[in-house]
Amino acid sequence: MLSSIKKYCFRKFRDSETKRHELNYLFWECTRRCNLNCLHCGSDCSKESIHRDMPAEDFFQAIDTIENIPQNFTVVFTGGEPLLRKDLEFCGKELRKRGFKWSIVTNGYLYDKQRHISLLNAGIGALTISLDGLKESHNWLRNNEKSFDKVINAIELAASSKRINFDIVTCVNQKNINELEQIRDLLILKNVKAWRLFTIIPIGRACHNSDLSLTDNQFVQLLDFIVKCRKSKEIDVKFSCEGYVGKYELLVRDSYFFCRAGINIGSILIDGSISACPNIDRAFSQGNIYTDNFYEIWKNKFQLFRNREWTKIGQCKSCEEYKDCQGNGFHNWHGEKNNVLVCHNGKVENAMKVKNLLH
Amino acid sequence: MKRNVIRKIIEGLSLTSVMFVFQACYGTPQDFGLDLLIEGQVKSKASGLPIKGIKVSVAHNMQYVQTDEEGKFSFYAEASKELTLRFQDIDSDQNGLYVDKDTVLTDLSKNVYLDIALEEK
Repeated sequence: MLSSIKKYCFRKFRDSETKRHELNYLFWECTRRCNLNCLHCGSDCSKESIHRDMPAEDFFQAIDTIENIPQNFTVVFTGGEPLLRKDLEFCGKELRKRGFKWSIVTNGYLYDKQRHISLLNAGIGALTISLDGLKESHNWLRNNEKSFDKVINAIELAASSKRINFDIVTCVNQKNINELEQIRDLLILKNVKAWRLFTIIPIGRACHNSDLSLTDNQFVQLLDFIVKCRKSKEIDVKFSCEGYVGKYELLVRDSYFFCRAGINIGSILIDGSISACPNIDRAFSQGNIYTDNFYEIWKNKFQLFRNREWTKIGQCKSCEEYKDCQGNGFHNWHGEKNNVLVCHNGKVENAMKVKNLLH
Repeated sequence: MKRNVIRKIIEGLSLTSVMFVFQACYGTPQDFGLDLLIEGQVKSKASGLPIKGIKVSVAHNMQYVQTDEEGKFSFYAEASKELTLRFQDIDSDQNGLYVDKDTVLTDLSKNVYLDIALEEK
């Protein structure tokens, strides 16, 4: 009964947020260059990119169109690897002058003491660092034998600062699914407070490697691990908001699934495209900062994000969970868009069916 | 205003605590803004001229910056009840020789601007 009331209220809340459509969170794909060549990269980034880094002034010209800056508005630098930009600190300071907060998503390889200090000086407030396993499995996925040592150094630096609200993200795959407990212990040892676990969606380079996807049983193993960790409360562990997980909702995160892409989350991509999260199919771009007024596009477009009825197709068409899932995370709609790429709840249900049959 | 109240009520009813503090799935956590901007200028007490190359650091913390040609410095520091800033001449006699100085900041409710005068050695 209580659970039904909570769910009902949450749906109402989600509808009101969708109608409100307030921009709180803006990704800036500031570079497509990357110093690593990860096996799972959803953006197909590499050392050389056909795209030049977006000039800072172009980005600022676009965001200066934003009216009535909402409270807690954050710009998240993403890439590629944002630390490859030498003007990152300048950009950060300019954002703070305008009253914006800012943060970065990094693979940690270039995050040394000097960079840590200069980022703090420039007013960084939050940080996400990727750690994808113990030494061997992390270096395998990151395709670099020094990557693990570098990222551990970055984690130690981030953990030494009370100023930065940071978390660790791990892409769970065939190689690291059985070392999650050891990774958790390592993070606790390094004084990490928050850890988010992902699965890998088969887009970009990740399409070409079957070791990256979890089986249905492994996916449930991952969710059960998160439930167990959350009970022990030694570290704040959660499943990312990548997808709806049915009966595991609220057991693996603090709130119900709500894909806010295009509802509260926008992005300015490397070529000036205006979209939502950067891993969303670029065919969904709503405009371009080089030809349109950014904030006008945010206010007046994004209908496909705000009304997701069009996702009632393929396996979502007759799904009983649709009103809570609404077609899963938006980044699960690529290519022809005739069906959702991954149904997380479907994986849970399939694993449960098999388990019941065996019993 | 009315909308905000309604939002708060719905938030309470759904008994989930973090609906307004979200993070994108491939993004970072929210920044809770726990810092303040510290700016200022360092001059010679005797001549009144700006001093370049003075190290401005936060005590018990690895953060520091150096003053520029105009003796100016600017950085964000972690918010706390009290902060000790240390001004040190670290470039030998390259820009003159000055006595180090510590300044304790106690009113950290808003951004800070400091005029610092260093004595010559």
